[in-house]
Amino acid sequence: MANTNSRATAPSSDACVIGPETAVRGALSGQEDLVIEGRVEGSVSLAGHLIVAETGEVEADLDIESIAVLGHVRGDIVASRSITIERGARVSGNVRAPRVIINDGAHFDGAVEMEVDLPDDLRKAAR
Amino acid sequence: MANTVIGSTIVIDGEITGDEDLVVQGTVKGRVGLRQNIYVEESGVVEANVETATITILGTVTGDVVATERAELKSNCRVVGDIHAPRVLIADGASFKGNVDMDG
Repeated sequence: MANTNSRATAPSSDACVIGPETAVRGALSGQEDLVIEGRVEGSVSLAGHLIVAETGEVEADLDIESIAVLGHVRGDIVASRSITIERGARVSGNVRAPRVIINDGAHFDGAVEMEVDLPDDLRKAAR
Repeated sequence: MANTVIGSTIVIDGEITGDEDLVVQGTVKGRVGLRQNIYVEESGVVEANVETATITILGTVTGDVVATERAELKSNCRVVGDIHAPRVLIADGASFKGNVDMDG
């Protein structure tokens, strides 16, 4: 079909999406929100909100602002704001953020590191 | 329909493979292998060898393109590399440097 004077193109919204039939291997970085419905291997560095959808499979270290996991993540997650692991999600790796939320029905295997503001005397005792 | 959109601030250095449409508004380096359609929008930059069914370029592509069906270079696009496709369309206003091969 001839769509001569059209700019692009595909039926797309403005959201940045890695679709369910797409695999990315390597380093992904950016400054916007991202939805992963497919597969990502490597590293993700994002100044924005990342959603790993039910179908999403991530094998990568993640350095992001905030994340909601509904699918699978294997790798370490560092978030400057929050990490939410939703019901049905599977996460294995270490997670670090000011707020880490693990919901009922989520599967998590790894270490959690949040800022814990202990009184001085306790802080010495707890490493 | 299933769809992947690489937003304008996104940079991917590596490999993208898949079986759905890909819209590039950001930057992709490395290799792209798709069985569907690629749309490189005005803001899109692809520094990669590309294998695909069809590609429509409004932005910038450096690298070799192999399309099993069609490669379309729109007005104002910039393309450097070889294009291998049975149908190659180059619009008035497009900038292109490279070889075109339309034979199987």
